[in-house]
Amino acid sequence: MLDFLNSQGTIYVSMVLGGVLGLSLYLPLLAGQLSLASPGFYALGGFVAAVLSTRTFDVEGTYPVHLVLVEFVVAAVLCGVLAFVVGLAALRLTGIYLALATIAFVEVLRVFTLNLELTGGAVGIFAIPQPFGTQLSYLWLAGPLLIAAALFTWRLEKVRVGRAFAAVREDELAAASMGVDTTRAKITAFVLGGVLAGLAGVIAAHQINTWSHRQASFDASIAYLAFVLIGGSRTFLGPVAGGLFLTYLPEWLREQAKHEFLPTWAAEFLRTGRFIIYGVLLAASCVFFPRGLITPEFLARIKRIGRGGGRPRGQDVRQPEPETVA
Amino acid sequence: MRLIFQKLLNGIAIGSVYALFALGYTIVFSILRVINFAHGAVFTVGTYLTYALTGAAFGRNGQLRNASLPVELNFWLALVLGALGAGVIGVIVERLAFRPLRRRGSDPLLTLVSSLGVAIAVVNILQYLFGAENYSFGETLGSMRASVTVVGGELPVVVRTKQIVIFVVSMVMVVALTFLVNRTRTGKGLRAVAEDLTTARLLGIDTDRLIRLSFFISGVLGGIAGALIGLAGSFNYQFGVAIGLKGLAVIVLGGLGDIPGAVVGGLVIGVAEAFVPAEYNAYKDAVPFVVLLVVLLVRPQGILGRAQVQKV
Amino acid sequence: MTAALEVNALTRRFGGVTAVDGVSFAVNPGEVFGVIGPNGAGKTTLFNLVTGITPPTSGTLLHDGADITTARPHQVARRGIARTFQNIRLFSELSALENVMIGRHCHTRSGLFSGVLGLGPAGAEERAVRKRAIELLALMGLASRAEVKARNLPYGDQRRLEIARALALEPKVLLLDEPAAGMNPAEKTALSDFMRRLRADFDLTLLIIEHHVPLVMGLCDRIAVLDFGRLIALGDPETVRRDPAVVEAYLGEEG
Repeated sequence: MLDFLNSQGTIYVSMVLGGVLGLSLYLPLLAGQLSLASPGFYALGGFVAAVLSTRTFDVEGTYPVHLVLVEFVVAAVLCGVLAFVVGLAALRLTGIYLALATIAFVEVLRVFTLNLELTGGAVGIFAIPQPFGTQLSYLWLAGPLLIAAALFTWRLEKVRVGRAFAAVREDELAAASMGVDTTRAKITAFVLGGVLAGLAGVIAAHQINTWSHRQASFDASIAYLAFVLIGGSRTFLGPVAGGLFLTYLPEWLREQAKHEFLPTWAAEFLRTGRFIIYGVLLAASCVFFPRGLITPEFLARIKRIGRGGGRPRGQDVRQPEPETVA
Repeated sequence: MRLIFQKLLNGIAIGSVYALFALGYTIVFSILRVINFAHGAVFTVGTYLTYALTGAAFGRNGQLRNASLPVELNFWLALVLGALGAGVIGVIVERLAFRPLRRRGSDPLLTLVSSLGVAIAVVNILQYLFGAENYSFGETLGSMRASVTVVGGELPVVVRTKQIVIFVVSMVMVVALTFLVNRTRTGKGLRAVAEDLTTARLLGIDTDRLIRLSFFISGVLGGIAGALIGLAGSFNYQFGVAIGLKGLAVIVLGGLGDIPGAVVGGLVIGVAEAFVPAEYNAYKDAVPFVVLLVVLLVRPQGILGRAQVQKV
Repeated sequence: MTAALEVNALTRRFGGVTAVDGVSFAVNPGEVFGVIGPNGAGKTTLFNLVTGITPPTSGTLLHDGADITTARPHQVARRGIARTFQNIRLFSELSALENVMIGRHCHTRSGLFSGVLGLGPAGAEERAVRKRAIELLALMGLASRAEVKARNLPYGDQRRLEIARALALEPKVLLLDEPAAGMNPAEKTALSDFMRRLRADFDLTLLIIEHHVPLVMGLCDRIAVLDFGRLIALGDPETVRRDPAVVEAYLGEEG
């Protein structure tokens, strides 16, 4: 049983990190910024862990966990500073322009890490020491990170700063006119997302054991975007669920491919066609579920069912939901 | 001096294809104010279609391994048909990913993501069918010289015939497109729709048909660009993504939605890439994105675009 | 007596268009000050200049004697200048209550971590904000709609909500951009009375852009008339009504 869990360990950890990465995109989105920059910070965090553990800390045997915590701090600071700079530079950009700028940022970062000797060039850094003997044990790091991030986000939306984010998202001009420092709000949201992605990178680098420029990819941007858009862009549970589920989906498909009754072409499709499914899901989600699967309305309905049913309390004129990403 | 000239020519050659590709984005953006992320995928499909029409066989890895069409067309004929096919695919994309969202007045970002989803699905379907390997068009220029020497002597400045062909075809398409948009009745309709969709519709212009037409043209341009790039080197299922991202830099640089802007942007980026010193060759891929970042931060409307004024 | 708001030779050019041209006036504390003029006269641009949304091309702005010419919108708001918008700008996805709570933003201080973790005074502050917001909603007759999303409210309620939100800012100066738009005559009269009570209860200075001339004449202590960006008349309603320049530019059309 334990063996099974261990072999599955990798996917569980990846799922949990997927949830974290979904949140890293959700946080800037709270302030109206659709940022595709997370893979850049994720990669940076991983490189911090990789470089520190292979070159700076000279360790024999199992890598001590407290050093991973040190890496957390360093990664958080570096990602925070970089996110601050990027966020500041991108302040005036909105919508498509901001998304494009963050895509460009990730690409530039990728090419730099591809060429720097420090980051291992094209090959990357390998033989990154492991703090844990089994894959499943990484949940000791990833789990608390996800839970802390989720709780933080949940609380954030209920308090002053989170309300300010929402105001900026809804109408930046009106928010400013009501006393909200929109610059500070946007940069804060952006930095939170960047730091979170960086922390996920630290864990992933140790878990996967190697790290390279390939971690800063446009494909990854799409994946995290899918977590939020398909999972649900209006509540913190959406990106978490999206991250968990969509990370698991390819694994599940691969398992299904093992069924004997499937013709080879179908099995092959399930094994390698996960991006086809991602793409179709993403497009279908935009067309049929613009706000994702887990919406506040959906959650409210579950709560009502839990309480014993009944119709929603009356509201005034019901306007159709506007279809926006942010 | 010769080196500079050589680099300039190289830059212009590749830049003209970037321009051609970027025009596909521009046409759709000018009308719908949305970036069609599926353009790179359509571009790839067109290239594969052209390849298939030349009768060549597909490699060893995809589902359709070793398959080939029972036709064996001349490259240029295959290019034309392949491009037309790409145009059709473009229209299908519009129907699937754009129209439902337009009907509901969705945010352009949502439409962008929808087109992105389609792009990913299409490109990976190509991988599934044809494998991940590289394909190339082989020698199609027949008896023509492989290259032309522009400036002779010890260190000749040389232009490959393929490059000349690419440049000429690209420029012809640009001219044809400009003519279409500025001098024909259909073009007038396109410009009206670009100006204001609702008003155009109120004036009795069949906006749906024109939107379909613009996606068709966009796909055709993409298909041609793809076959030309494939001709110059090789291609695989992913090359649409890389050039798709570069194309974004091109249109932002030139000004989103601006036709001459796409040409200017394409040539500037092509030349910029060509002038990257050899030691930094590995950084060449970052050039379009650095350009994109700089433009977005300094002058988001691009070289030829107009600054957007927000009314309170 | 320092002017609540002082505008000196304020000018704003957009490319070739001069939207506001050398406008100067001073608003006395506690006044109800009207700004009228034909469409395109520059009234909303003037408000935008005062609230820091648009930087002036030249001229100065003073609030309680302090220079606010280069102040950004949130700084202007913090000084106690609040506004409503011609085309309502509520936070559509947020509830009525949340909209008003945002108005309390600059009077509260709980930061990122103190707020999320509920440390120290943050919890009490949050409760106070909520309480105040409900009071203001009740004042505007919206208490029963507190949890309704702003965009689901009927038009009249939305206008009232915008005012409630502006009041949450604890302003000393309140700028209202066409508050009577879309109202019938009975509602306009009620609005007039409401404005007077507002000024008294909240100790406000009011600036009102309005098209409906009788409303302005009956309500305002003084009126500024703009035409093509320039101030063509300034004075009490009777004086303004009789000013030939005004009659020609504006009132003449109304008859």
